[in-house]
Amino acid sequence: MSIYFIPILFLFIFIYSFVKKVKPYDAFCQGAKTAIPFAESIFPFLVSIFILTELFEISGLANLFTTLLSPLFNFLGIPKELTKLVLIKPFSGSGSLALLSEIFSTYGVDSYLSRCACVIYGSSETVFYVATVYFAGAKTKKLLVPIIISLVASLFSCVFACFICRII
Amino acid sequence: MNAIFGLVITASIVFLTFSSPQLILSTMISGGEKALELTLKLTVIYAVWLGVFELLEMSGLSKKFANLLKPLNRFLFGKLPEKANDFISLNISANVLGMSGATTPMGIKAIRELEKYPNTDYAIKMFFVINATSVQIIPSSVLALRSSFSASSPTDIIIPTILATLLSSIVGILLVKIFVKKGK
Repeated sequence: MSIYFIPILFLFIFIYSFVKKVKPYDAFCQGAKTAIPFAESIFPFLVSIFILTELFEISGLANLFTTLLSPLFNFLGIPKELTKLVLIKPFSGSGSLALLSEIFSTYGVDSYLSRCACVIYGSSETVFYVATVYFAGAKTKKLLVPIIISLVASLFSCVFACFICRII
Repeated sequence: MNAIFGLVITASIVFLTFSSPQLILSTMISGGEKALELTLKLTVIYAVWLGVFELLEMSGLSKKFANLLKPLNRFLFGKLPEKANDFISLNISANVLGMSGATTPMGIKAIRELEKYPNTDYAIKMFFVINATSVQIIPSSVLALRSSFSASSPTDIIIPTILATLLSSIVGILLVKIFVKKGK
């Protein structure tokens, strides 16, 4: 079903614009033009966050954190095999997707761990990506409280994910 | 952000100096390469969506749609400038529908629009938390990955995911309502 969503949406938009006598080519180009300045403004922030995550991973700090936080997460009901996913998820979308497929091949795609990992992956966004990209070039700088709130909320849903996957 | 960035980078470099100092620069460069790759990919995705959005705006469709979501936005953000309400509505619906390429450009536009007005600090923070906790209904990338691993029923995680993502958003929204001061 969902594969028809985009075609129907786009068809509707184009036909509606036609009815409203909008010049489609001009309008589309007008919008597309703004993509480059967007990309330009997010690039430095993406570079910084990627360097941060790569260094964090390569230096072994990621693994150290995983080991340190495992007992705490375990206490909350998050299995130790999934600690790393919970930690990586706020920093890197592609990194956690790679980790997800690693979990699939290690534990089997239909295992509790894998299903649980899926729910964890889908339950929240890459918090630091949103923080860097959305606020690229923005004046608002004081994001510490909202970032902490988002991280707490995601952790909450991770705990819930592990719980609900045990029942279903 | 500055504190986190400084701290993590310094700690990583200290660690690497002891284990494998030759990796520091090359890791930073390969991180930068990945960032450039992603930026290029995003540029194209944004171009497509921003093109479509321009049509939405010029035809007046986005205005109609934003009016539908006005009550919800009012509850979440308080009173919003009209244009910001449009962008926020589009961003939230793109979020819900899992059109991840469309959410970011609308999100950036919404924040830039909000910043033009005084007393929008609360709305900006709320908007950030809603995006960071995401309210996606169809986790398309997970479904694709599960199918490629030939899971017995790839879709069985949809309902738990919806519940979990709803929960994270609700907790986030509540925390903002409690801890972030309105109208400052």
